[in-house]
Amino acid sequence: MIVTEKSAAKSTTNGLRWLLFLIIAFIINLPILATVLTSFKTTGVINTSPPPIIFTPTLSNYSEVLFTGNTNLLRYILNSIIIAGGGSILAILLSFPAAYAIVRHGIGRSWLLPLVMNIRMLPLIVYAIPLYLMFQLVGLLDSWLGMILVTTTISIPVALVLFVGFMQDIPIDMDEAGKLDGASQRVILWQLIFPIARPIVLAVLLLSFITSWNEFLFGLILTTKNATPVTVGATFFVTSYGVKWGATAAAMTLGILPPMILGVFAYPYIGKSMLSGAVKG
Amino acid sequence: MNLQARERREAKIFLVGLCVFLALMLGFPSLANLWFSLNEVSFHNLTGDGFAGLNNYKEALSNPGLWKALGYSLKFGVIATFLEVSLALIMVFTLHPLLARKPWLTAILMMPMMVSPALMGVMYRLILNEFTGIVPGYLNLLGFHVSLMGRAMVQHTVIAIEVLQWTPFAFLILLTARQSLPYELEEAAAIDGATETGFNFKVVLPLITPAIIIVTFIRFIDSFRVFDHIFVLTGGGPGSSTTSISIYIYKLFFQRSELGEAVALSLVLLFASLVLLYFGMKLAVRKEPS
Repeated sequence: MIVTEKSAAKSTTNGLRWLLFLIIAFIINLPILATVLTSFKTTGVINTSPPPIIFTPTLSNYSEVLFTGNTNLLRYILNSIIIAGGGSILAILLSFPAAYAIVRHGIGRSWLLPLVMNIRMLPLIVYAIPLYLMFQLVGLLDSWLGMILVTTTISIPVALVLFVGFMQDIPIDMDEAGKLDGASQRVILWQLIFPIARPIVLAVLLLSFITSWNEFLFGLILTTKNATPVTVGATFFVTSYGVKWGATAAAMTLGILPPMILGVFAYPYIGKSMLSGAVKG
Repeated sequence: MNLQARERREAKIFLVGLCVFLALMLGFPSLANLWFSLNEVSFHNLTGDGFAGLNNYKEALSNPGLWKALGYSLKFGVIATFLEVSLALIMVFTLHPLLARKPWLTAILMMPMMVSPALMGVMYRLILNEFTGIVPGYLNLLGFHVSLMGRAMVQHTVIAIEVLQWTPFAFLILLTARQSLPYELEEAAAIDGATETGFNFKVVLPLITPAIIIVTFIRFIDSFRVFDHIFVLTGGGPGSSTTSISIYIYKLFFQRSELGEAVALSLVLLFASLVLLYFGMKLAVRKEPS
């Protein structure tokens, strides 16, 4: 008797937990949900108030923003892929060897690691102005390369922190075995350690890609048309399209989809990188 | 011995790439900032019309707009951080048992923080729109007639958006800390007959306090420098009621072309942040000796 009462109470609490979860999930994801739904609506349906729950979905908004509407959205998406991808790869190539030197030889542990971690914390606007002037001087404004340099800078902190954490857990025997075979440190780093680091490299790649894709301030300041990322380009729709919410919603949906899909795989590493970074630094 | 010294020298080369890159992207711009801040510069004459001494700094610091923006950023940061961390803590206490059994549910709660804050701002513009937005639409149906983007409410609205987007981040960090606690704690508490609430406050809370400190620190810094969603939602207005410090500097430079003042202010902000970070780190390190 007592047992069934207890289990009944338990299943009530469990039900309440589910209810709370559903309410929170609904509220925080409401703008995403509404935008995705709106992107499949015709203008007529959008202007109906209150909004109908059931409607016939249309793909016309997507074909408009991607092909028929003369909107540049495809170009913005391509820009974002190149900028975010290029920055992530460059950040990995720079941080991986640096992490090795920091962990195995302690070089820069006391100054470089804290310095790099502070980058993440600084108000980015502080660097926006000198970078704008500098880029203007050397002709990097509105270019892929210029934006890649920026996203690399933004990605370096997470890359370095995760790589340092990873290499601290690799036994030194591994290096010793390589050295007995006469391998140089460069060979040990890229041919012995890098292959087993694949999961963490992938995590860094995903996290950097997401952060870089979502960057807005530098895209706004340093690009005008050619290298404009989708986060900036999609906001043009609000002003230039005025009340065309269907097309705007379709552009939004395309702009948020890639990082959201990657985020499903990457989110466990965010917690790890934040906690390990703050403790080990 | 000799071999070790050679290896060390070799390893130093591994750092060259990163150091050169950082010097170019952060060191050089900092120096350029310093030069610009001490000279009379304009968009047309970047080498400067002459030495200005501390004039740019004086101008920057005596502008009442600065103190208003700084005050707004502080208020925004404190309120948003407090709400985010409190809500995240409540969520960890109540949802952890469910998420421990069904880990994939966590991914659904993480979705908002994967979205670019600028696009999140635009999406809120869509659902808060007075005529076609679903939020005012349903609020009207329920008898509430408020203009969420109007002068009276807009400050609350932009803070609410920040909280709704970034509570998941605080939640994720605290959940990671909670999940790293050994299960034996719960078993021991169950044997002692502790209630769930008692267990959460007396056992879990003290153990995840380091994570709470870290996440408070990160969230405050991130919300203090807020730019993206406010910029696309209000542009800092109406008036200057939602102008954060980042938006203030942006406007000085790109809309009012006050180069010297904007650059001087950037340097002051950079210096202040570094001092703050230094003490923040020191505090964190003392709390967490490792």
